[in-house]
Amino acid sequence: MTGPFETISSLARQLDARHVSSRELVEDAIARTETLNSTLNAVVSLDKPGALAAADQADQARADGAISPLLGVPMLHKDIFCTRGVKTSCASKMLADFIPPYDATVVKKLHDAGMVSLGKCNMDEFAMGSSNETSFFGAVKNPWDVDRVPGGSSGGSAAAVAAGLAPLATGTDTGGSIRQPAALCGITGLKPTYGRVSRYGMIAFASSMDQAGPMARTAEDCALVLNAMAGHDPLDSTSADISVPDYSAGLEKSIEGLRVGIPKEFFSSHLNDGVAATVSAAVKELEAAGAVIVDVSLPSTDLGVSTYYVIAPAEASANLSRYDGVRYGYRCDSPSDLQDLYLRSRTEGFGEEVKRRILIGTFTLSAASYDQYFMKAQQVRRLIAEEYQSVLKDVDVIAGPSAPSTAFVLNDGSKSITDMYMEDVFTIGANLAGLPAISVPVGLVDGLPVGMQLIGSRFGEAQLLNIAHQFQIRTDWHSLTPDLEGLTG
Amino acid sequence: MTDAATVRDVAALARLTISDQDIENATAEFNQTLALFDALSTADTTDVAPMINPLDSAQRLRTDRIETLVDRAGLMQNAPASEQDYFLVPRVLD
Repeated sequence: MTGPFETISSLARQLDARHVSSRELVEDAIARTETLNSTLNAVVSLDKPGALAAADQADQARADGAISPLLGVPMLHKDIFCTRGVKTSCASKMLADFIPPYDATVVKKLHDAGMVSLGKCNMDEFAMGSSNETSFFGAVKNPWDVDRVPGGSSGGSAAAVAAGLAPLATGTDTGGSIRQPAALCGITGLKPTYGRVSRYGMIAFASSMDQAGPMARTAEDCALVLNAMAGHDPLDSTSADISVPDYSAGLEKSIEGLRVGIPKEFFSSHLNDGVAATVSAAVKELEAAGAVIVDVSLPSTDLGVSTYYVIAPAEASANLSRYDGVRYGYRCDSPSDLQDLYLRSRTEGFGEEVKRRILIGTFTLSAASYDQYFMKAQQVRRLIAEEYQSVLKDVDVIAGPSAPSTAFVLNDGSKSITDMYMEDVFTIGANLAGLPAISVPVGLVDGLPVGMQLIGSRFGEAQLLNIAHQFQIRTDWHSLTPDLEGLTG
Repeated sequence: MTDAATVRDVAALARLTISDQDIENATAEFNQTLALFDALSTADTTDVAPMINPLDSAQRLRTDRIETLVDRAGLMQNAPASEQDYFLVPRVLD
C-alpha cells in the first residue's frame, strides 16, 4: 500500500517489487486529485483515459522485462508544455481551447522514459506572476494554508506535489518560477542551466531566460527526472550540445571541504526575519556536514529586479505578438476589419498582468526608449552575470533564501505591482546569468515552509543535487507534509 | 513620467486597447514600473557589451533541408476560421 507522499525512488522500488501497479498509482492519484482539486485548483485538466492507458502500457512493459527508474510513475505537466491532443492553455483565455498537434520535447522525453502524465497544472497566465493569482482559471491555493498563495508561476505544479497529487510536476523558471513556489509549498525544485533542457514546445515567455525543470519531493527525485529531461535538442537552437552526466551517480559524495558562499545582499532588509533565521540554520547544517562557509558579495542584487523587468517584458512583448486571433487562439466576435480583429482579440484574450508587461515591453523596445532601457538592461545583465561568475571562482556554490518571505495571503491588496516584482529579488540573478539553482525545504515559520536556494556554476546541476541530497539525508524538512484532512473528508 | 497619450500610443503599437475608464490607472501603473527602472542609470556600463544570450553562445543553424514536423491538418484544427487549407480573416481589400 503506497501513500500519497511517496517519492519517485520509493515508488519505483515498489513497482519493481510488484507491490503496486502503475494502474493502481494512477487510479489513486486521479481519485485524490478529484477530491482535493475543488479546493486547491492546482490542476486545470485531467487526462484520465490517456493516463490509465499509459499506466497499463507501463505495467505491461515492466511485465515484459523493461527497466527504468521512472517507468509507470505518475506525474503532472505545467500547462505551458504542449501536449499532443491534450488542451494546453498557459492559463490564458487566449489559449483556453488550444489543442497542440505535437508534444514538447520535455513531454516526449518523460513519456519515453515511461512516466505517466495525469494532466496539466494551473499556473500564472503565460508564466507571468509570483503568486498564481493571474491564471484565467483562478488562483491556486497553498496546501499548507488554503488562504495563501502557492507562489508562481509554477504554483499549480508546486501545490500538486505538496498535496500529494503526484510525486513530480514539471515547471518552468524565467525569474524564479520553479524555486519560489517550491519554497512556498515545501518541495524541492530545480532550475537547470539555460540550454540544459530543451525549450521546444514550451510556450515562450522570455526566450533568453526560460528554462524547464523538475519539481519533486527530494533532490534524489529531481536527479532521476533531470536524467530524462536534459540533453541537446536539434529542435531548440538554444539547447546546449553538451553531454549529460548521470545526475544520480554523485548524490552520495561527501560535501566535506566544499565552499559555500553566502552573499550579504541576500540577507538584506527585503528578507523576513523568520526566513533569515531558518535559512541561516540550514547553512549551519551544511557547515556541520563539512562545508566551508564563506561571506561573499553580489552588490548588484537589487539591480537585478530592474534589469529583469526590462528584459523579460521586452522579450514577452515580441513572443506574444504571435497571438493575433488569426491562426490559433482566441478570436473576438464579429470583427469589423483586420485591425479590429487584432485589437479586440488581444485585448479580450490576455489578462491584466500580461497586458501590463506587453505594454512595458513594447515601450522599452520602441526606438525612443531602446537605448535608455533595453540596451542598458542588457549591459547591466552582463555586469550581474560577471559578478556571479567572479564569486563562483572563489566558492563552489552560492546559498541564500529562495524567497523574501513565506507564502503571503491571497488577494493581498497591500502589495503593489512593484512589491510583487520584488518577490523575485533572490531568484532573478540565476536567470539573468543562465546559472542552475535549486530550492530545498529548510524549515517552517509559523507553520509555513521556507526554502533555501543553492546556485551553481554553469552546467553544475550535479553538484547542486549532491549538496541538496546531502542536506536532505541530514534533515527531514522535505518529508513534512501539509495537513489536508479537512479537505479529504 | 509618461502621460496617458503615450501609454495609448504604446498600446496601439502592441495592438491592445485601453478604455477611457482604465487609462488613468494604466498610466499610473506604467509610471510605477518605469520608476523601478530608474535604478539602472546608477550602473556604470561604459564599454560593457550587451548580453543577449546568457551563455554568450551563437545561435546554431541547422542544415537547410525541408523537414515536416507537424501535420497541416493538426495545425489547421486550431484555426478560429479557415477554408480549405487557408486561414480566414475579414476582407482586407474591397
